[in-house]
Amino acid sequence: MEFVVEHLKKQFEQKKVLKDINFVFQSGKIYGLLGRNGAGKTTLFNCLNRDLKADGGRFFLRSGEEEREAAAEEIGYVLSVPAVPEFLTGREFLKFFMEINRDRIEEPKSQDEYFDMVFIEEEDRDKLLKDYSHGMKNKMQMLIQIIAKPKILLLDEPLTSLDVVAAEEMKQLLRTQKEDRILIFSTHILELALDLCDEIVILNQGTLEAINRENLDQGGLKDRIIEMLREDGHV
Amino acid sequence: MFRTFCISFSLKNTYRVNTILFSLKQIPLLKRLLPEALYQSRGLKKFALILSVFWEVAGALAGKALYLFCMVFWPLLLYGGKGHPELYCHMFFFLTLIGAYMNTYMFNPTNDKYYAMILMGMDARQYTLSNYWYQLIRSAAAFLPFLILTGSLAGIPLWPCFLSPLLILAVKLSGAWYFLRRYEKTGSCSNENLPSRTFWILTAVFLGAAYVLPAFGICLPISVYTAAVFISLIPGVRAAVKISGFRHYREMYQILLAEKRTGMDVRQTVRKAVAEQSLGNISRAAGTGTNRSGFAGFHDLFVKRHKKILWKSVKRLTAVLLAGTAALLAAVLSSPRLAPAIRSLLLEQFPYIAFLMYLLNRGTVFTQALFMNCDHSMLTYSFYKRPACILELFRLRLLEIIRLNLMPAAVLAAGLPLLLWMSGGTENFFYYILYPASILAMSIFFSVHYLTLYYLLQPYTASTELKSGTYKLAVWATYLVCFLLLQFQVPALLFGILSLVFSLVYSGIACILVYRMAGRTFRLRS
Repeated sequence: MEFVVEHLKKQFEQKKVLKDINFVFQSGKIYGLLGRNGAGKTTLFNCLNRDLKADGGRFFLRSGEEEREAAAEEIGYVLSVPAVPEFLTGREFLKFFMEINRDRIEEPKSQDEYFDMVFIEEEDRDKLLKDYSHGMKNKMQMLIQIIAKPKILLLDEPLTSLDVVAAEEMKQLLRTQKEDRILIFSTHILELALDLCDEIVILNQGTLEAINRENLDQGGLKDRIIEMLREDGHV
Repeated sequence: MFRTFCISFSLKNTYRVNTILFSLKQIPLLKRLLPEALYQSRGLKKFALILSVFWEVAGALAGKALYLFCMVFWPLLLYGGKGHPELYCHMFFFLTLIGAYMNTYMFNPTNDKYYAMILMGMDARQYTLSNYWYQLIRSAAAFLPFLILTGSLAGIPLWPCFLSPLLILAVKLSGAWYFLRRYEKTGSCSNENLPSRTFWILTAVFLGAAYVLPAFGICLPISVYTAAVFISLIPGVRAAVKISGFRHYREMYQILLAEKRTGMDVRQTVRKAVAEQSLGNISRAAGTGTNRSGFAGFHDLFVKRHKKILWKSVKRLTAVLLAGTAALLAAVLSSPRLAPAIRSLLLEQFPYIAFLMYLLNRGTVFTQALFMNCDHSMLTYSFYKRPACILELFRLRLLEIIRLNLMPAAVLAAGLPLLLWMSGGTENFFYYILYPASILAMSIFFSVHYLTLYYLLQPYTASTELKSGTYKLAVWATYLVCFLLLQFQVPALLFGILSLVFSLVYSGIACILVYRMAGRTFRLRS
């Protein structure tokens, strides 16, 4: 399966944020999306998640010769600020989510098995989500996306502001989730992108460009990315 | 010092101009016409500058006019005090004392002070003194014409009107010096917008002295007022000298403006406060759970965990209405003179009930709680945006908001016909059916209206910022229409029938629109 973006455009008044986005994302890979501040990473995610109407272009799923539009539930979006219903406990959120989506969840597990997957301790499972720490809320948000299994998962700087242990746990979790899916991961942290992602994509001057890793060691790759990002005038 | 003042005035003017331009950009239709490079446009900047200067002058004058008419002139009329200068001066005197510590200008930690003294490093003493004198003179000058106007309307001689600005200056200077001296002695300086308990008590005492004492025939004689003005000049002049010589403005403002370092973005601060308040509304009493599953259970828990803001306040409101209706019934029974007045009010002023229903409805509170504590996060999940899920929750929520609003409406629907009957009643029995029916229909209308607006215009962004101009306009228009209804003299029977029909038709159309469009419209704004 491939996720194809063709000639995607978006501008705000006269400012062209996405000029002409063309890219083919391959299933089973984590893509690191890099770009300078204001380059349009969140705008791109908002367009792909259909929270924002694009001015032109299209995006679709392709399997062999077949092309079809991605349904809303086939695209998952994890925001940098975790969004969870704060009036529910972790367990209640999980329970309702599973009840509402019971026909869609493949090989459902028990609630506690799911909590174990994201390292949420037993004593925290029946606490209100408003009393969860930032990292725990982030894990809950991620857990829902893991169970929902969208074909494409957009992650907008999900590891920012997590402590080192939680960030490492999340990284491990993400690596286990890439099979048969496409994970697009936006970040400002170059080392994180190089460590976690299979491919690095640069959003530069309104277009997307893949970095060819061949013949480049870690240092050379870094220099190449920084050089490309410097070409963009944003700060 | 004059140069410092000019720079600071120009700085203040610049961001006032930018604020005006920003506000123009928020108006739904106008924003399309304005250029993108708004802040570069010289013509627009000149226009905004004219508005800004107008605002500086008119704002000062309008503020003082409003203050004098509301706080002095109107109470004076209530006391029938025309032609009694002592009553006018009495109230003005005690209110001015409150201004000495509640409105000092110097201890108001505004953004312009932070920009000038902390961010741009202007000379704090020169900045403070030049702006302080300007504000004092501006305040006294703006007061004078309205003191003369309200004074002459109240039938009092001119000379107390000319004396009063001196009192304002002397009292404000003395107040400011008191706080500066306290800073010198203790190192603490207080924000005038957050007065301590002592100052609140003092305010209550002065307000009581201003408005309650005259009811007992106690009033400052005009000679005492005059003497007080002249005596106040002694500490006033001394304070002016001390304030001019004070050397620690920079250190003092460092403390006073400290909170600005983290909270300069006012909108962000407000959003944060609203978000914290919303989270505070979530309660989890022991054993709060649900036997329902899926969205029914999800909604059930939302309502149970928000009982405090949803049901508790409605129950309180219902109790107040019950008590009010019972009191009116008792008044009608005990005072035969009151009965005809109430009867005619109920038969001829029915539009008032529509405005009351508008005030009683909990639509805004309900939708705000829904967004802040539920939809704000849930709308980021794709499963939640499936049209079937949106409509299932809409149905549950509509029933809930209707139930919420019906409780106080039921008291009015039962109480008002009873009151009509007890106050003499009417031979037309139709009134007794129409009254409750149209009240209940209006209650349903407001429930449907606010929830429909929320679902069709979903006005918030992921960062809980209210962004839809159309939504703001619709909410404002709702208020305006309800307010304008007060001006109409429509027979109760006709108004009742019209409101009943309109409510039912509107509710039907609104629900159809939501069922057709909410799948597309109910999502986070970007």
